[in-house]
Amino acid sequence: MRRAVVIGAGLAGLVAGVRLAEGGMRVTMVAKGVGSLTLSPGVIDVLGYAPGRVDSPREALGAFVAERPDHPYARIGADALEEALAWFTDRVPQMRYRGDGPRNLLLPTAVGVPRPTALAPASMAGADLRGGGRFVVVGLSGLKDFFPRLLADNLARADLPSGAMVGARHAEITASPRPGRADVAGQVYARALDDPAFRGEFAAALRGLAEPGETILLPAVLGMARAGEVFDELQERVGAPIAEVPTVPPSVAGMRLNTELTGAFARAGGRVVLGVEAVGATGSDGRISEVLVRDAARTRALPADAVVLATGGFSAGGIALDSYGGLHEVVLDLPVAGPPAGVAPLSERHLDHQPLMASGVAVDGMLRPVGPGGEPVWDNLHAAGTIVAGAEPWREKSGEGIAIAGGFRAAGAILEET
Amino acid sequence: MTHPLHELMRDSLDHCVKCTICETYCPVAAATPLFPGPKYVGPQAERYRGGDANADASLDYCSSCGICTQVCPQGVKIAEINSQAKAELAQRRGVSLRDRLIARPTLAGWMGAPVWPVANWTTSFGPFRLLLEKVLRIHRKAPMPRWAGRTFQSRTRSRRKAPDPAAPQRKVVFFHGCAANFYEPGTASMAVQVLEHNGLEVIIPKQGCCGLPLQSNGQYDAARAYVRRLAAQLAPYARAGHDIVATSTSCGLMLKREAHEILGVDDDDLRVVSERMFDICEYLVMLDERGELKRDMQPVDMEVPYHAPCQQRGHGVGTPAMELMAMVPGLRASQVDAVCCGVAGTYGLKAEKYDIAMEVGRSLFDQVRASGAALSVCDSETCRWQIAAATDRPSVHPVEMLHRAYGLG
Amino acid sequence: MRGYRTILVERVDLGQGTTGRFHGLLHSGGRYVISDERSATECAEESAIVKRIAAEAVEDTGGLFVTTPADDPGYADRFLAACLKTGVPVQEIPAAEALRREPRLNPGISRAFEVQDGAVDAWKLLWGNARSAQEHGAAILSYHWVTEVIREGDRVAGVIARDNRAGEMVRIEAAFVINAGGVWAGEIADMADCPGVTVVPGKGIMIAMNHRLVRTVVNRCEHPGDGDILVPIRTVCVIGTTDVKADSPDDYSIGRDEVQQMLDAGEVIVPGFRQARALHAWTGARPLFKDERAGEGGEDTRHMSRGLALVDHLRRDGVSGFLTITGGKLTTYRLMAETVVDAMVEQMGDSRPCTTATEALPGSEDGRHYWLGSRLAAQEEAMADDQLVCECELMPRRKLVEAARRRPGMTLDDVRRALRLGMGPCQGGFCTYRATGILHGLGDAETERADELLLTFLQHRWLGLEPILYGDQMRQACLDDWIFQGTLDVEHLPVTVPT
Ligand SMILES: Cc1cc2nc3c(=O)[nH]c(=O)nc-3n(C[C@H](O)[C@H](O)[C@H](O)COP(=O)(O)OP(=O)(O)OC[C@H]3O[C@@H](n4cnc5c(N)ncnc54)[C@H](O)[C@@H]3O)c2cc1C
Ligand SMILES: Cc1cc2nc3c(=O)[nH]c(=O)nc-3n(C[C@H](O)[C@H](O)[C@H](O)COP(=O)(O)OP(=O)(O)OC[C@H]3O[C@@H](n4cnc5c(N)ncnc54)[C@H](O)[C@@H]3O)c2cc1C
Ligand code: SF4
Ligand code: SF4
Ligand code: SF4
Repeated sequence: MRRAVVIGAGLAGLVAGVRLAEGGMRVTMVAKGVGSLTLSPGVIDVLGYAPGRVDSPREALGAFVAERPDHPYARIGADALEEALAWFTDRVPQMRYRGDGPRNLLLPTAVGVPRPTALAPASMAGADLRGGGRFVVVGLSGLKDFFPRLLADNLARADLPSGAMVGARHAEITASPRPGRADVAGQVYARALDDPAFRGEFAAALRGLAEPGETILLPAVLGMARAGEVFDELQERVGAPIAEVPTVPPSVAGMRLNTELTGAFARAGGRVVLGVEAVGATGSDGRISEVLVRDAARTRALPADAVVLATGGFSAGGIALDSYGGLHEVVLDLPVAGPPAGVAPLSERHLDHQPLMASGVAVDGMLRPVGPGGEPVWDNLHAAGTIVAGAEPWREKSGEGIAIAGGFRAAGAILEET
Repeated sequence: MTHPLHELMRDSLDHCVKCTICETYCPVAAATPLFPGPKYVGPQAERYRGGDANADASLDYCSSCGICTQVCPQGVKIAEINSQAKAELAQRRGVSLRDRLIARPTLAGWMGAPVWPVANWTTSFGPFRLLLEKVLRIHRKAPMPRWAGRTFQSRTRSRRKAPDPAAPQRKVVFFHGCAANFYEPGTASMAVQVLEHNGLEVIIPKQGCCGLPLQSNGQYDAARAYVRRLAAQLAPYARAGHDIVATSTSCGLMLKREAHEILGVDDDDLRVVSERMFDICEYLVMLDERGELKRDMQPVDMEVPYHAPCQQRGHGVGTPAMELMAMVPGLRASQVDAVCCGVAGTYGLKAEKYDIAMEVGRSLFDQVRASGAALSVCDSETCRWQIAAATDRPSVHPVEMLHRAYGLG
Repeated sequence: MRGYRTILVERVDLGQGTTGRFHGLLHSGGRYVISDERSATECAEESAIVKRIAAEAVEDTGGLFVTTPADDPGYADRFLAACLKTGVPVQEIPAAEALRREPRLNPGISRAFEVQDGAVDAWKLLWGNARSAQEHGAAILSYHWVTEVIREGDRVAGVIARDNRAGEMVRIEAAFVINAGGVWAGEIADMADCPGVTVVPGKGIMIAMNHRLVRTVVNRCEHPGDGDILVPIRTVCVIGTTDVKADSPDDYSIGRDEVQQMLDAGEVIVPGFRQARALHAWTGARPLFKDERAGEGGEDTRHMSRGLALVDHLRRDGVSGFLTITGGKLTTYRLMAETVVDAMVEQMGDSRPCTTATEALPGSEDGRHYWLGSRLAAQEEAMADDQLVCECELMPRRKLVEAARRRPGMTLDDVRRALRLGMGPCQGGFCTYRATGILHGLGDAETERADELLLTFLQHRWLGLEPILYGDQMRQACLDDWIFQGTLDVEHLPVTVPT
């Protein structure tokens, strides 16, 4: 059996891992910790702004990559992206992803901005703002990271496609899994809602809040392991449509996706080793033969026929910036593509384009990290996710698309090799 | 209290980006609102420590299970920071008699061993347990192991061989830990037989306690003395090239890492022992990867739920027990979806924490019961006692499944 | 305190000037024993007083002067002699003892001296003084920008200020005007037609590090230079500072080269400094007084540079009812106030003695100093029934709600100065959204303003982050971008961000 080592347990690593394991490889995933997936809103962004709001990623992508030849999407290609998304949604049926064909949905964020995204769990998709609608935003008194009034008031001022009329008001309920406690985290609500007893109490508190024709917007804490069941039952009991709005971390929706995807990986036969750091690799003739990891007692060599590097960008620690301004790829010391010469790395205006933040490893069409001359550093090393240079995914709203398509493509390239 | 390693662990707080991942995984924070969670008591509160007084007694609810450190994507040594801060708290408050007693399995074990029938009778005798709870604040329902009567050490005196640099690979040292010595010599014997079945000669040197229970009860100086003594006992074997194999995941981890990272013990004996220390399942899988593990296993037609205890996860070697069980024909092992059983060494014994520990383990116990299996499998002894007590069925070490499969008993 | 009816006029918020941009050190005087004996003695005396009257704002950390391998070994003996001469309490301790107390200190230090430095929280000190003034009947007008000083012949009769929040002009008539404009004092003197009061902005940068690398203030035992002091204050420690002449007091730019200089300097005191996490950088401008009319008979120019400077405009310009006090140190703030008010009392022909050295500020009556664990202890009590808004700096919701009641219309920067919102490792990554939501929910900020508050605060935090973005803080900044831009899409809020 051929062996693959996947470094990193975020979205890109998990997608690559599942596909490799399904493809018959013996896959070991090593990760320093849990991936950023658990922090993410749980929607699947493909391309939201370019820089104007994107209505259809499929239509916009051609021009987008033409202008940005170094963007990860330019390497992956639009076809692989579509194939990857279809493959992906099949792997996580419990998330019940919904979209509108090639077009973006427009879902409210927790501050009430209409945000474009390609796919969203069914529990969120009901808040699509493109056709307007009437909403009652409901806060939970114990949850400090959701402000129904701010959401509702901003929604009423939101920039929407012409003709879409939005009405929004706000309310609050006090039902709490930890009565008497002022500060209750999202995951505590979510786990408690898995339990039918609290679910009943919660539904009772919501009943009668919505007027006919209104959709209830709630923070995305409606269930953890049994989210689907919780959502369906609440809607039925409350008698009004409900939609979840993703929260800032801790993000329950992100945790659900993480759980389902790690489950898919385990079912496909993959092994995860969590809490260890990959510290290097050995190999010869342009191929890595072993990945070195540091466990509790020593540095261990994991034999590998192929390696996927999915350690994330700066925030996850895949790329590091030292105090002298030097850029480093942390595990394998690969060359890092930073801002082009002559371009100021950072802007004084916080929300401007920050070229430094798009740093990462440059890759070829098979997503192999390349040196300055464009030649692969290792023939059997592929990179996927935020570690790949050329994007500011949080601005473009392209993070999940890049990770899923990248992980899928990297795995495909490895499987094709046999 | 301040040693260079403390500073090193503390420095890791700089990596915290407040992402809250650790909070969502901490089993204690999920079980009780009394504990504010790893991010809070770890990297966050640590910035406020270092003065003359401790300000946060809620820290004491941390069970030191270590899950937070494992899941933290930024490399913050949360559990280690907590352990050190807890030790400081304990020193300021003074360590109770109970915490002194339960932290010394050798003491409790030796006290029980000569009089074992009486000892076992008292630990299962209700009124005595009530008294224990009143006087010592050990919860009356907390699982208490049964003394085995004769220690594993005294049964295996003939195996106290000297190091043999001539054939280091063929001879392994078995580190049994206190629990096996006093309470579960059976598990230890099975481990020895499994190793022998694979053609290895097993040396069982004289060995003491690793000091882990002392460490988790904040008695660092004593813990350091224990672990140094043990390392000195094992070091000659490690230097001669023998691998050291352990069935106790937590004690193995103590020697691999914790003595160094938490207690700050920095000596050569410990270093050579760490390098050679293996958890038994890790070791057997490694043999298999070298093609040296016997695959002559008989079918064991059983379904078993397996729990990877938090201390086992701390080894950073994946779940070798699952891989071993997968080699046994007919054996259908499934990993339980839970991070901790709650007992965390001695945490769950304490009267004020027993309920929290049971709540932590609830989902695990439910899954074990729901599986309908006759027994469950888990690598760590205190966890097995907790799981067995909570689910009314035995819980065994994975090596016992292998022992069956090899037809050894 | 002396019974005058007083109005304090401030153009932005208390602490938005140099006082909120200083290094945090309550000087024992040790730094000046050789270069400026008079300042040394003043600091020694004043720091003892401030520790008493403003105990709540001071942490009695103690200080060390250490001779590192990079320092002139001969300085130490001269330093010791000069301390004795200037009355700065000092005691030499073995280098090994200093290393035991401060394990991260450069192991190559050869000498160590213990002094009575402390750390002082500017904002607590300011609010303590403000409350004291208010209790004695003073009014405080923040966000009032003085644009004109009213002259009636040879007399100053008040000021005209623009109320920046209400957007209207306010005329304040007064028998006497004291110009304590710090580095802006020259501008104000100009408004009174007393030209030539030049306050040179001596710009310095400081960097706050994520946690306390040292517990006591550490100074290098050397002629005062750049980046030679590390001050533990609140949850952080601050390395500083530089001293360059700036063209304008409002120049807050931070050069990358200055940052590098500070990091190198940090390495000398604590090896490994560059691996530690930098949180935030800022600059302040020292008011260095220089009288263009020096030599024309103005005798007040004698004790200039670092010392405090009283400019008597009656003698100098023939203008009565107007005095300027500038220069000085934060440590000598009380002495500056005493000096200028003494001069005013004299000019007005009164005789009312100063009591500021003996009367404790509100909140400091019990004489208990700040201690590091205090917020943690308070949170331990509040945990069950309050929500944490800023988790890094342990700022509970209740504090924010109370502050909003007391002072409606705060910006998030105001909240930060009052309550440390957003000053911790995540630099507002988690609390900015919370604070905005709470203020909006209370009705304190209507929607458009709430959006503005959020974006402005993020922008202002960024100014102090961008120059020191490396290592862990770079990871943080990217995570914060994921949250604000990724999850919340704040860049598309329907407001334009003010620059
Ligand atoms: C880098 C640096 C580090 C320092 N470190 C230390 C230290 O560690 N210890 C120490 O003791 N000292 C230190 N100092 C010195 C100390 O900070 C200053 O001397 C002191 O804060 C000056 O206080 P001030 O009240 O005179 O000036 P400021 O605090 O600047 O007050 C002047 C106020 O006047 C206001 N103002 C100006 N113009 C107008 C107008 N037209 N209308 C209304 N209001 C107006 C300003 O907004 C400002 O708030 C340091 C200084 C710097 C620059
Ligand atoms: C002793 C000490 C310790 C510190 N410790 C920390 C720490 O632990 N963590 C931390 O993050 N920071 C710390 N700081 C830095 C602090 O947060 C500020 O950056 C610094 O004090 C300058 O603050 P400011 O409010 O005056 O300016 P800022 O508001 O930070 O300045 C940003 C920019 O906005 C402008 N600006 C802001 N408000 C207004 C307004 N209303 N009108 C016009 N212009 C405005 C300023 O002029 C400036 O150009 C510390 C500062 C000191 C003095
Ligand atoms: S998981 Fe790590 S980085 Fe995240 S909050 Fe916890 S300690 Fe901080
Ligand atoms: S060690 Fe375990 S109990 Fe303690 S904070 Fe970490 S996860 Fe929670
Ligand atoms: S008892 Fe077991 S699972 Fe439980 S804490 Fe230990 S090791 Fe963790």
